[in-house]
Amino acid sequence: MLNLIVCIKQVPIVSELPWDSKTGTLRRELAEGMVNPSCKHALEAAIRLSDQHNGKITVFSMGPPMAEEALYEAMAMGANRGVLLTDKRMAGADTYITSLILARAIKKKCPDFDLVLCGDQTSDSETAQVGPQLAEELGIPGVTNVEKLDLSTHTLCLERQTDDFLEILEMDLPGLVTISPHYYVPRHVSLGGVQQAFDYPNVDILGTDDLELDPGLVALKHSPTKIIRVYSPATEKENIVLKGAVKRIVNELFDRFGDRIGGAMGKDLKTHDHP
Amino acid sequence: MDFNPCMKHKVIRKSVRAFAEAELGPIVSDLDREARFPWEIVEKMRPLNFFGLQVPEKYGGAGLDSISYAITIEELSRVSGAMGLSITVHNSVGAYPIVRFGTEEQQKRFLPSLASGERIGAFCLTEASAGSDASGVETYATIDGDEYIINGTKIFVTNGGVCGLALIFANTDIGPDRKAPSIFIVEKETPGFSVGETEDLCGMRANPVSSLFLEDCRVESMHLLGQAGDGLKIGLESLDVGRLGIAAQALGIAQAAFEVSVRYAKERQQFKKPISRFQTIQNYIADMATEIDAARLLLYRVCAMKDDHMPFTAEASMAKLFCSRVARKVTEKAVQIHGGYGYSKEYDVERYFRDAKVTEIYEGTNEIMQVVISRSVLTRPS
Amino acid sequence: MKTLNRDIWVFGDYRNYFQNRVTLQLLARAGELAPKTGGSICAIVFGHDIGEYVSEYIAHGAEKVYVVDHPQLKQYSIEAYTGLMERLIKAHRPEILLIGATCFGKEYAPKVAKRLKTGLTADCIDLDINKDGLMIQTSPSFGGNLIAEILTPNNRPQIATVRAGTFQEISHNADAKGEVISMPIPDDLPMERVRLIRSERLPKKGRKIEDTSVVICGGRGMGSKQKFKKIFELAHLMDGEVGVTRPVVHAGWSGPNTLVGQAGRQISPKILISFGISGAIQHTAAIDDADFIIAVNKNPNATMMKLADVAVVADANQACLAIIKEIKKKIQL
Repeated sequence: MLNLIVCIKQVPIVSELPWDSKTGTLRRELAEGMVNPSCKHALEAAIRLSDQHNGKITVFSMGPPMAEEALYEAMAMGANRGVLLTDKRMAGADTYITSLILARAIKKKCPDFDLVLCGDQTSDSETAQVGPQLAEELGIPGVTNVEKLDLSTHTLCLERQTDDFLEILEMDLPGLVTISPHYYVPRHVSLGGVQQAFDYPNVDILGTDDLELDPGLVALKHSPTKIIRVYSPATEKENIVLKGAVKRIVNELFDRFGDRIGGAMGKDLKTHDHP
Repeated sequence: MDFNPCMKHKVIRKSVRAFAEAELGPIVSDLDREARFPWEIVEKMRPLNFFGLQVPEKYGGAGLDSISYAITIEELSRVSGAMGLSITVHNSVGAYPIVRFGTEEQQKRFLPSLASGERIGAFCLTEASAGSDASGVETYATIDGDEYIINGTKIFVTNGGVCGLALIFANTDIGPDRKAPSIFIVEKETPGFSVGETEDLCGMRANPVSSLFLEDCRVESMHLLGQAGDGLKIGLESLDVGRLGIAAQALGIAQAAFEVSVRYAKERQQFKKPISRFQTIQNYIADMATEIDAARLLLYRVCAMKDDHMPFTAEASMAKLFCSRVARKVTEKAVQIHGGYGYSKEYDVERYFRDAKVTEIYEGTNEIMQVVISRSVLTRPS
Repeated sequence: MKTLNRDIWVFGDYRNYFQNRVTLQLLARAGELAPKTGGSICAIVFGHDIGEYVSEYIAHGAEKVYVVDHPQLKQYSIEAYTGLMERLIKAHRPEILLIGATCFGKEYAPKVAKRLKTGLTADCIDLDINKDGLMIQTSPSFGGNLIAEILTPNNRPQIATVRAGTFQEISHNADAKGEVISMPIPDDLPMERVRLIRSERLPKKGRKIEDTSVVICGGRGMGSKQKFKKIFELAHLMDGEVGVTRPVVHAGWSGPNTLVGQAGRQISPKILISFGISGAIQHTAAIDDADFIIAVNKNPNATMMKLADVAVVADANQACLAIIKEIKKKIQL
């Protein structure tokens, strides 16, 4: 039986981000969470593989307690069980510490896995680093931005587009892939799936002690990278408003900004205007 | 008493919202303009259990609780009132009566195709001379051996133009000179069954509301739901459930109108400041928020009562009366907040406004809701 | 790891040399940072027959180039390259390692950082050295809605990836001198667990919307599929590309490959003209990097209009027609 792992992250819904307009920071505690879109592609790829090869899927997520919801969503889509890693001491982990904790949890809860699937990046921090770092931490090969997977006995055939090349790769198992959000379009969650997931709950919740991590480990303190400042980029746009009859506005547009428009086109528009 | 949504209900809401926004969102105004029923969306909804929300899993349904049901309809209606309508009518008064009153034989025969969405359900009570007054029904089913022969005309049938199965309210003889309404399960391919023109309505335009004609429709007696003469009892209980769905639909429309109004009030500048800084607009927003919250609590409470097997007839009527009223008021204020733009087809609020009104009319007019509620209150022992 | 020197290393990513100049851009930035760290500018090149890249890097500012040239490295190999970089860094212990945020670099840098037990910051939009001599790594998140400044205070090297186009390369100097340090391939590199079966350069799909300086974006406000064709006409006329919103894709007015948004493409044109787009965050998050935005919308309050440098209050379709006419007139004159 094919033993699959999918790592997912719950991220804030961007359109509902509550910004603190005074400080320009995100009031993250107020944001509703969703499964990171790219993680859903990874889950979709896992579900299709699992359907083809009679597999089972364990979903891991690290985050606040509310991230448990994301695991149920994954189970409603087709995963078999969930593992939530949540602990105040895990808060503020950078990708180095996150991959370390995930690897520890995988070794503890699902050591006989064949393949780990991750999204290619998250919509919040957008680093795309946890996948490759998790592969390193687990000591297994890893390939990023995979478009299509094809599994034969002990190797996985992968197709990806990378830096203008089409690559066909072969990877030994166990291994890790991050899935690029093109081919594996995630299915919608079925309502019967949700009902089933809650009728037969199968989520383990683990903290740092359960993982037998170094008792002194505090993610925020031990992450190699430190965030020293966060701010919103200043917008210094003038926001000129043009209104009135269309023909007149368009004339005004070219009178005032013809050089800019022409400059971008690589053509001189303005000088020809009044010969 | 726990007023916080549980995790399951949050996941249901998110899942339906994601589906509705992705699939219905981009086409909803086209559907309204073209008065087109989106079969392509139905195909996508079928495997997701939208057509078997409360049908038991053994017949291919999702087996949801009633709050999950309400949330599903609310979230569909938040994007498309007309699809919310289709789905709630199919589930509440199409499938539910068979789940609740059908024999095992009837359930095995009819529920799988309803739950899969292969057949869309409709419920036919209203006639030219019968609506609020069910005793005016003229459709008649006469016994002929082991069969019934049904004749009559039903009007304003929601899902009429697309239904594959209809529950028909018809009088039957239950004794010498005694007739009483019964309910028959009639499949669309039954000879003599035909569908009239789609009505040209003010709102809910993507739903093909139409007349249904029954001319010497012969059905086996196993198509009779419950006993002969049980029509009123089955009909009324089904309508109680139907009203929860309509309340949820009204709530979803109100929620949509509210959200766009808040966004617009923060964006729209007049006298050099956003109109949300004017107290009148603030008052409107405050009232809208309060009414929607009250409506939602009222509705979810009735859903919980139903799942706890408590009587909920009067409370279902209260929820339907209140939610539909809130929808009408909130959508009207939403148009007002949007000013001229609110009256323009370019914005969604005018559609919310048109869609909301009918929630005060169908599944029992609000005046009938008041009759049901006052009867319950006034006959209570004091 | 303690450092032995204050050198700044730049990974030589040459696979797309003519399309992607990020290595040269990083060498230029390393040149600006080096005086502040007091180290030298080094390029690291793995491969086979790579002499031309070595001299290019020297001509663009590299003072030292560490080279591993071997037939076994002819093709990019994530596992071999990771092992090589790990050994080199453990041996020479530089202060900083910069890697271009190409697809390869984004796969490579996290693995290298993990092996070396150090920090890594992705897609930096700026790099500087603070008064304590630490590299300030400025990195966007939430689609550019937030900017974070990040340090790696205690671990070495400090590693960052940077996208192409973030810094300016210095001009080619054929007279520049640099030291080339050739290293043998170690004989204990582990077996490759990822094997390249086939690699082919993708057919040039024309220019990509990410790279063009003119982008014309159209939304549902254009009215209909027929009217939407004018967006393509204008883009063609201005030698630009078309970008669209999700509703347009859903309506079938344009293909999904033209979608500009969180789920689609991120663009950074010199000029963006936006027609009939209200400005949902899913779309606007992808256009933050446009230099100059002209938005056309009937509704002056649309979010897109607030984001624009010039907001034109008009019917999108009519304005599009008028602009096409005006440009035709000007080009012909």
